[in-house]
Amino acid sequence: MSIIDLTSMGEPQSELRKELNDRLTKLQDEISDYCFQCARCTSGCEAHKLLELEPHKIVALLKRGLLNELINADVIWTCMTCQKCRERCPQRVAPIEILFALKNIAVANGKQIPGKYTAMLQSILTMGLIQDVQQTTTRTNTTVKRDDLGLPPLSKPVDAAKFQAGIMKIAMEKV
Amino acid sequence: MRRIGVFVCHCGINIAQNVDVKTLTEYASHLNGVVVAKEYKYMCSDVGATLIKDTIKEFKLDGIVIASCSPRMHEHTFRRVANDGGVNPYRVEISNIREQCSWAHSDKQKATEKAKYLVRSAVSKALSLEPLKPSTLKVIPEALIIGGGIAGIQASLDLANDGFKVHLVERDPSIGGHMAQLDKTFPTLDCSSCILTPKMMEVANHENIELLSYAEIVSIEGSIGNYTVKIRKKPRYVDVDKCTGCGDCATNCRLKDRITSEFNQGMGKRGAAYMPFPQAVPLKYVIDDKKCLFLTKGKCGDEPLCKKACAQNAICFDQKEEIIERKVGAIIVATGYDVMDPAVVYEYGYDQSPDVITTLELERLISSSGPTKGEILRPSNQQKPKSVTFILCVGSRDETQCSWCCRIGCMTALKQVYLLREKLGEDVEINVCYNDLRSFGKGYEEFYRKVRGLHTNMFRGRPSEVRPMTDHLKIDIFDTTTNKLFEIKTDMVVLVPAMMPRKDAAEFARLLHLTLSGDGFFLEAHPKLRPVDTFVNGIFIAGCCQAPKDIQDTVSQASAAASRATTILSQEELEIDPLIAMVDEDVCTGCGICIEVCPYEARTLNERKRIAEVNNALCAGCGSCIAACPSNASIHKNFTKKQLLNMVDDIM
Amino acid sequence: MKKRYALFPGCLMPTEQYAYELSLRETLPLLGVELVDVEGFSCCGEPMKSVNQLLTLYLSARNLAIAQKHHLDIYVPCAMCHLALTECQHILEKNPAMKERINGMLAAEELTYTEKTHLVHTVDLLHDVIGIQTIKEHVKKPLHGLKIAAHYGCHILRPKEIGRPDDSENPQKIETILKALGAEPVNYPQKLDCCGAPLLANLPESALTKTGQKLQAIQEQQIQGLVDVCPWCHKMFDSRQTKAGETVAVKLDVPVVYLTQLLGIAFGIPPEKLGLELNLSPVEKLQQEAKP
Repeated sequence: MSIIDLTSMGEPQSELRKELNDRLTKLQDEISDYCFQCARCTSGCEAHKLLELEPHKIVALLKRGLLNELINADVIWTCMTCQKCRERCPQRVAPIEILFALKNIAVANGKQIPGKYTAMLQSILTMGLIQDVQQTTTRTNTTVKRDDLGLPPLSKPVDAAKFQAGIMKIAMEKV
Repeated sequence: MRRIGVFVCHCGINIAQNVDVKTLTEYASHLNGVVVAKEYKYMCSDVGATLIKDTIKEFKLDGIVIASCSPRMHEHTFRRVANDGGVNPYRVEISNIREQCSWAHSDKQKATEKAKYLVRSAVSKALSLEPLKPSTLKVIPEALIIGGGIAGIQASLDLANDGFKVHLVERDPSIGGHMAQLDKTFPTLDCSSCILTPKMMEVANHENIELLSYAEIVSIEGSIGNYTVKIRKKPRYVDVDKCTGCGDCATNCRLKDRITSEFNQGMGKRGAAYMPFPQAVPLKYVIDDKKCLFLTKGKCGDEPLCKKACAQNAICFDQKEEIIERKVGAIIVATGYDVMDPAVVYEYGYDQSPDVITTLELERLISSSGPTKGEILRPSNQQKPKSVTFILCVGSRDETQCSWCCRIGCMTALKQVYLLREKLGEDVEINVCYNDLRSFGKGYEEFYRKVRGLHTNMFRGRPSEVRPMTDHLKIDIFDTTTNKLFEIKTDMVVLVPAMMPRKDAAEFARLLHLTLSGDGFFLEAHPKLRPVDTFVNGIFIAGCCQAPKDIQDTVSQASAAASRATTILSQEELEIDPLIAMVDEDVCTGCGICIEVCPYEARTLNERKRIAEVNNALCAGCGSCIAACPSNASIHKNFTKKQLLNMVDDIM
Repeated sequence: MKKRYALFPGCLMPTEQYAYELSLRETLPLLGVELVDVEGFSCCGEPMKSVNQLLTLYLSARNLAIAQKHHLDIYVPCAMCHLALTECQHILEKNPAMKERINGMLAAEELTYTEKTHLVHTVDLLHDVIGIQTIKEHVKKPLHGLKIAAHYGCHILRPKEIGRPDDSENPQKIETILKALGAEPVNYPQKLDCCGAPLLANLPESALTKTGQKLQAIQEQQIQGLVDVCPWCHKMFDSRQTKAGETVAVKLDVPVVYLTQLLGIAFGIPPEKLGLELNLSPVEKLQQEAKP
């Protein structure tokens, strides 16, 4: 199967799209409405100084219904997922959850997925893990692989076809 | 044959918009026993009352049903109207068609149908209501005030000046409460001690006030007009009749300056023999039995130095705690609040750096009677700070800590900014991180403006954390007024912590049968119309035990509570609501279960008759004994099983 | 009492962070823990959370279901995996409809998520399950004089409400373990700062800058070493340390070890068995500086 099934919004994914929208509405109604813009999240955001992520602004934009602006913004992809915004929010708003939902919607709407996510996803579909066994270098510049170190065999899905069939259901499932 | 009148209220449109009152009235007029039914826009108004009274006379009614709001709102009103009109007030039945019908439903037709059922069952109850007569009780014209902060002090003085005997119980060795710890008060910058101390002295010297300091409530029994209170007087180990307050015991105490001073919020030290603060009332020393070497270890060198030093021979190590009893007619609870421990918000650094302090601690630093004699010194190095940063709403308006606003934090911080500017001069940087700034009281907004003019850096936002660095504290604050992140390097951080219910508030509430609101403070009987009453008649609340508030509001509320207590204490006798339990002597087996379940201790066993009896003055009509009685001998007047089952039958 | 766990290796540890796997396989059995290798695990799903959260949930549930089939509690050495699996359990316990739906998909592999499984990470396994006393009893070469800083990793600390291995704001378990090994844990203001790893996929430069900033702060405070408990954090702090230094224009020279490696050193296990030669940071400095 191709990764397109999972990451773009072809016709079979209309249910997925509905689900994402439902989730976002829920976040919007039940969580972000309580935000009183104290910006404690942004004061402590790990990505703010480096990449100008402003979680409180994301929440405010979502409250104003500016979904399109948000899913097209590169800044939603700068979150380091440290969870500090969620942990310390005085109103139990979870900007990180909103960011995850926005990224998912961006993907479902066929926006370009940045960086290596696509490659990692492809690898998961192929062999179950984000990458296969790597060759690493020691401090003395010799190269080693898993087998050289006497470690047991890699644990990964035994039957690739069945594993993929499971994941296919996410793409094809009708809610 | 009974003659019942039904009166249907529109409550403006509150009822009328969802219940068809005309149809309902018409329906009611045909019910068995009903001789007349009328409707009116506001039955609780004067016109409504006249309508009821006139109808009673015209139709010779002997019972009435009012279809209106909850009986909690106007039952009392309509009982009085019935009485004036010549119907026994206990032959009034309220059918709640507002809270339980028009407000709860939106389908008018169905709501009207439901209202019919409700009125029908009320009529059936009205038909069997007995005429009752209240009994009377002699009022003890004395009051108990629990808590000697500014609320308790004010309430005590008001009542004492009205001529009532007051017993003021304070848990600590001195009265004064939190207000005694403050330097100046906002927005007028009155010196707190200067305005509080005279009141404390007046309490000490008032002939009508018995001050029971260092004492706690053990139990409260009885009811409005006649409470019996047991009070534990903790031993001071100092004979207060002999102590002159000279201080020789404290000067000589071996633990002098070695115990953390509660009054100074841990910013100063005291000994085991100590006076909480110089203006304490009573001006008597006390020995801390948790710390004193002699009291904890049985040995203090060769002999306790305090005892040796006391020329009056007032030190008295064999003092024991004492339980005393007082009888009062009314009680005012003014037990105050706790400051939230800011260490629970670990990331704000209170536990990580001595330079992170609270507003109350800063208050002690500012105070000339405090540990630094009023000099603002950075705790870690005792140097003058070059930068001080306030963080507001620490734990307040926070769903993970205290969801409410502390109502004094903004103004406290502004006041402290003003005083710091005065004490530290122009070259010191002062930052305030605020979320919203609430300056709602008289003169508050003007004060805020004044402080803005003092080169105060106002940042709108909440910092995520305070980082203790090697020689300073670091705060990142995203300021939503400039949309910029500021990295503040500061020497001292002042946290404005939330105000919380006393940690034993729930336990105390059980002792007094008081109710707590969701936030854990004591609940008033009505937030607007009965703000200092509780659901227990004769017990009132004042000050921060009810909710956070400033001194102004606390004093107003204390005077209000005193005035409410006066309405009881000024009467010689009180009518006792006859809607209480009674015993069917023919059925009672004297098993005693009702005595066990009664929360008001209103039940006793008559050994001679082998039956249980009800003390009318104590019974609150709660119904516990009715539910518990295995032989149906306990009866709630006008809530008899037959009456209630009739109502149910009419609804089914 | 013997403690048995399915070892959930995740992706990063078994495919490149071999030092973690070597050292935990070496040390934990000494402390009475039996690690069971289970066939068929896959990615926990966490790296895909930004792309499709349902996929994350599915993958986590799948792994939990595999361990449940073997009736085993699970030891999860990776902080990211630990969060994914914990969150999945949290969601499925709270949302029966979602549980049913996920189970419908798991049927393709004849798997069923049944009930909450006990999950541990290295930190709580050592501190709470094995216990400090047992660790102390195994120390043969105490690490006296070593000033070590702990990096917990965001994902094992937050969000508190679903239950994490240590306190979200003031974690102290690694420090307590370090003390048991004879080392001196150092507190530092940047302790809770992120390693940057979650941005590796799309913003690797920024990710490395995060790493560089934290390491630079540690280096400036004369801390002798950094200990971590997550393959992602370690990849940043150790494997990529030189590159991270370039982003902040500083030559970084901070020894970084896995907690299990340090444990092994203190237990007297030969360095090669702990994969110490795989650390690219100057870990030999640590061994030199420990005063026996």
